[in-house]
Amino acid sequence: MNGSSALVDNAGASQSRRVFWDQDVYQLELERIFSRCWLMLGHDSLVPKPGDFITTYMAEDRVILSRQPDGSLKAFINSCTHRGNQICHADSGSAKAFVCNYHGWVFGQDGSLVDVPMEERCYHSDLDKSKLGLAPIRVETYKGFIFGCHDPEAPSLEDYLGDFCWYLDTIWDGPDGGLELVGPPLKSTLACNWKVPTENFVGDGYHVGWTHAAALQMIGGELAGLSGNRADMPFDDLGLQFTMRHGHGFGLIDNAATAIHVKRDGYVKYLEQTRGGIREKFGPERERLYVGHWNTSIFPNCSFLYGTNTFKIWHPRGPHEIEVWTYTMVPKNADTETKRSIQREAIRSFGTAGTLESDDGENMSSATYNNNGIITRKGRMNSSMGKDREGPHPVYPGIVGVSFIGETSYRGFYRFWQEILDAPDWAAIRANDDTWDAMWTNRNFWPERLSAKQAEPQD
Amino acid sequence: MTETRKPVGMELHHAIVSHYSAEVRMLQNQQYRQWFDTVIAEDIHYWMPVYEQRFARDRRPDPTPGDAAIYNDDYAELQQRVDRLLTGQVWMEDPPSRIRYFVTNVEAFEIAPFEFEVFSNVLVHRNRRQSEVYVHTLGREDKLRKTDSGFKVFSRKLNIDARVVQDKNLYFFA
Repeated sequence: MNGSSALVDNAGASQSRRVFWDQDVYQLELERIFSRCWLMLGHDSLVPKPGDFITTYMAEDRVILSRQPDGSLKAFINSCTHRGNQICHADSGSAKAFVCNYHGWVFGQDGSLVDVPMEERCYHSDLDKSKLGLAPIRVETYKGFIFGCHDPEAPSLEDYLGDFCWYLDTIWDGPDGGLELVGPPLKSTLACNWKVPTENFVGDGYHVGWTHAAALQMIGGELAGLSGNRADMPFDDLGLQFTMRHGHGFGLIDNAATAIHVKRDGYVKYLEQTRGGIREKFGPERERLYVGHWNTSIFPNCSFLYGTNTFKIWHPRGPHEIEVWTYTMVPKNADTETKRSIQREAIRSFGTAGTLESDDGENMSSATYNNNGIITRKGRMNSSMGKDREGPHPVYPGIVGVSFIGETSYRGFYRFWQEILDAPDWAAIRANDDTWDAMWTNRNFWPERLSAKQAEPQD
Repeated sequence: MTETRKPVGMELHHAIVSHYSAEVRMLQNQQYRQWFDTVIAEDIHYWMPVYEQRFARDRRPDPTPGDAAIYNDDYAELQQRVDRLLTGQVWMEDPPSRIRYFVTNVEAFEIAPFEFEVFSNVLVHRNRRQSEVYVHTLGREDKLRKTDSGFKVFSRKLNIDARVVQDKNLYFFA
């Protein structure tokens, strides 16, 4: 698309407001992002047994994820190959076959067309059922998390997650089996562009103290000092921010994993008991991550808060609306009571009636809809916070920002967003693999900072 | 489903309906503290479970309080939600939104001395900002206790009809 470079200004750290509003930008996103990236489908824990299925979305396409008799997974488009009807209307379940409501075509657990009513009498052996299976989708998993992708040229899921795997392993693999998802998902609509919550989760430590002032005041605990931005805190030493090759990123608040949870004894105990295993398996740098709180987005539209353990998929519904799906991440090997307590606290804070989530929706909607004004829309949005206080780090992969309050991972998200919108195919993206982080010119930021602070153990 | 129990008499029924009217008037007037202190019992379980859409043949059990729920609050947790609204820092409620409740189909049954199970339908109409309108329908299953200071609810189950909630949040009391 002509002029897409004007949508994001990497050097100036700004974006056109059209990224939240324009129909043609959204159309290009559907074609170049949602049709080419690995999108979150779920977790092994949601489809544990052969025959188990869930229905979900990849952008606006309806999808069935189905566990096969041999334990593998398949995903396919939830639309009959005869006249296009949606085949499965249940959220989840177990099924030997999927039968279309319209004419009764029957599709197997693998999506193949297995039966057509009155086939012989109506089609007279002219129907090649083998060519009429439900359109298949690439499925791969990473540490039990299941992703789907439409593009045969896309890299493997592991390569797509890329440098982010180093971080994800800390929690998804964990000391002893990592995390799983529990549902059913809470679902709600929100009148906002899908990128507003994604960018908020990828790197907005700044809004926490102000947007959530009331909730933090009520919850108390480690983050109470942030409420209303009243505390005088040395933010540089409270955490970090990270951005990756493919736009994934997160912000880390040190030693605050469970800060949002009120009833947290079981979870705190679990983390204390397992952090030693993390140190042994992954080293002290990742033990630091393990006991911190993460606000995270996996490009393009999956977000989670590790520690709080809410897990989101922002399904786009046009440029100005999303469907919010909320699962909870729980440690696979924690006891049932701890898992339930984590789920309760995660939903209490970041569910549909969450004490913190309820603050966010208003901002996300407003940040989208204000751009319906033509003059407003000509303006730009700023994401320059901490711009020169970031760079490559000797230990942590990707680009690392010095504070959890900063916009490093915003910049990284929009950098890749523009790259993939401009790229004709994945080969063009791969061609940038060695130069993707060239926009971060302050290459000596971390070496200098670390040698200046050598006496201190962390950073 | 045929109800074999006998509903409460006219006078009690009227008292319960009047109680509900007084309750929603407090909520409509944003008298959240007064609402909490007047109608909520200390052993409250305030619950809005999540019902999946499942095939009729699906034999999995209905949600329990151990499962995902939009609300799953005890007394202190519900109180904390009230306190949050009263901090003066909930920006989305400033200017305040307008909320209106319609409580109908009230059916009450005595389940123990001075304790009643009450079913009702609730329609909630929220107006926000200049032109935002949200409408929710809920089935409500209450357990009320008649005390010297009026009825107190000690169990409230809210069944929201929408699978995909058509609102930016459900942070309101019903």
